[in-house]
Amino acid sequence: MTRSPLIELLRYAAILLAVAITLVPILWMVSIAFKPVAEWQAAGADLTWIPRDPTLENFRYLFGRSDSALIVALERTATRPILASILAASFGTLIAMTAGTAAAYGLSRFGAGANLPLALIQLRLFPPMAVMIPVMIMWAFLSLMDTWWGLALIYGIVTLPFAFWLMKTFFDDMPREIEEAALVEGCTRLRVFLKVTLPMMRAPLASATLFVFILNWSDYLVALLLTTRQWATIPVYMASLSSSMTGQLYGAKAALGLIAAVPPVILGILIQRHLVRGLTFGALKQ
Amino acid sequence: MAEIAFVNVTKRYGNTVAVDGASFTVADNEFFCLFGPPLCGKTTILRLILGLETPDSGEILIDDRPVTHVGPAERNIAMVFQNLALFPHMTAEQNIRFPLVERRVPEARIRERLAHAAAKLHIGHILHKHPAQLSGGERQRVAIARALVRDPIAFLMDDPISALDARLREEARVELKRLQREAGRTLIYVTHDQEEAMSVADRMAILDHGRIRQIGAPVALYDRPNSAYVAQLLGSPPINLLPPGLLPGARADAVQVGIRPEDVEVRPGAGARVTGVEPLGGYTVLTIEAQGASLRAMLRGQPAYAPGQSIAIGAAPERMHFFGPEGERLAS
Repeated sequence: MTRSPLIELLRYAAILLAVAITLVPILWMVSIAFKPVAEWQAAGADLTWIPRDPTLENFRYLFGRSDSALIVALERTATRPILASILAASFGTLIAMTAGTAAAYGLSRFGAGANLPLALIQLRLFPPMAVMIPVMIMWAFLSLMDTWWGLALIYGIVTLPFAFWLMKTFFDDMPREIEEAALVEGCTRLRVFLKVTLPMMRAPLASATLFVFILNWSDYLVALLLTTRQWATIPVYMASLSSSMTGQLYGAKAALGLIAAVPPVILGILIQRHLVRGLTFGALKQ
Repeated sequence: MAEIAFVNVTKRYGNTVAVDGASFTVADNEFFCLFGPPLCGKTTILRLILGLETPDSGEILIDDRPVTHVGPAERNIAMVFQNLALFPHMTAEQNIRFPLVERRVPEARIRERLAHAAAKLHIGHILHKHPAQLSGGERQRVAIARALVRDPIAFLMDDPISALDARLREEARVELKRLQREAGRTLIYVTHDQEEAMSVADRMAILDHGRIRQIGAPVALYDRPNSAYVAQLLGSPPINLLPPGLLPGARADAVQVGIRPEDVEVRPGAGARVTGVEPLGGYTVLTIEAQGASLRAMLRGQPAYAPGQSIAIGAAPERMHFFGPEGERLAS
């Protein structure tokens, strides 16, 4: 099909616009992260994309290594929030994926817990924030406030429906004959799951894990309510980055934002090769 | 080594009766075919034999032993699924080794069995490939090799060659027959292709909505169908079912008269008209209209008939099948 050059031009213009809308904030963050105080301060009022005087000062500042006289040193460095985020998001993802995969398999194969889908979707019918106050009280009673494991637990619960629904779709799509063949060929149910089902589900597991991890990693509100000082996560900590002298510490925030973007990107690259389509292609007659 | 018997087995899925009071016995070393239209319960019968389903009532016996509480793995029956069900994440070789590895067969023995099965099915050169890289015919061979490799007491095959084109199917079914003879094992084979069923089976069972309508040697069923239903399923072109009185010599008490296309006699005359001619080389199929009914005749060679031509039809009374009001065969 040949399109007229005008339409082609408009198409590219639209694509360019979409890309710009997506990338501009990110690029602006990268830019600010490497600017010295004078350049990112509102008073500077001198907008440049490329820092005139690029510096790692903002990163040093986050970890308490700054010797700048312009801003007051931080009370708490970024090390612990980064650790808190990694622990809470990883274990939260582990909980959601383990429980979600098991539940999805049970329902998809054995019809166990037929009411589960509805119960789980109900969890998503209202915003998680609606129940966070009661959860706060419960967590306080259970001494889970301001702990990474308390946060991981609630993350696991909140993202469980996503893990469940994603995995259930994949299990439903997987032909049962392949598992039955393994049963007939001498496997127990557990071995069928471990040797046939899970290896075949590698790609879906990888994509669901990435999805759930990003959800947990980017949470702000739940962490804001359930953590205070000890185990505040990156987003919570980021919000506290301000000083009476300079107001919002945009430079440090941008630097932290850049750091926060690293784990999902690494995870994405690591499992990219598993995100291949055509998973069961070739196993069955077409 | 394996005689498989169904005693009054019934299996329901919700309100659907998949198998309805089926009783039959497959003898040891027999090539037994289950044949019928789609959704008539053929696959369910295989799943019941495998132990993937449990009958609602009735009993399944393997070598006179009830197997209701024996799991699929312990029954030692091999299955080739309709969609082949190869493991996509394993190579052909790993697929074939799988049953032996799971049964903890010593490595030396696995190699020997693998080589044997691969040689038998001529797949030695594709063992390193994944199922996705194989052609339809190669996949089917790998699936059969996986069933063959562990010397089960019986093989079940659920229309395994339906993906192949006509010529390959013909080769494949000859090959299957040979493999079954060599293995010396019971083979229960499901197909929806009557020609395939008739060409390979020692005996066949005709199914209709979960009920077994007739069991017997293919030729016996073809020559003496016990009902109009069975008569219609076998033979191509299908049998003509005509009102009595159309053909001279038919019994008066019959509701329907069946006559195979090859038994219809055609000669120049009056009373019928040719409406279609299909020359197929070795024989010619005529579509004929007679007294408002349509029938087909199969003639040897290429006789010179043209559409619109007026003819007379007839048939030898001993070649006719007479069916009663319920489609049942009338006693002669």
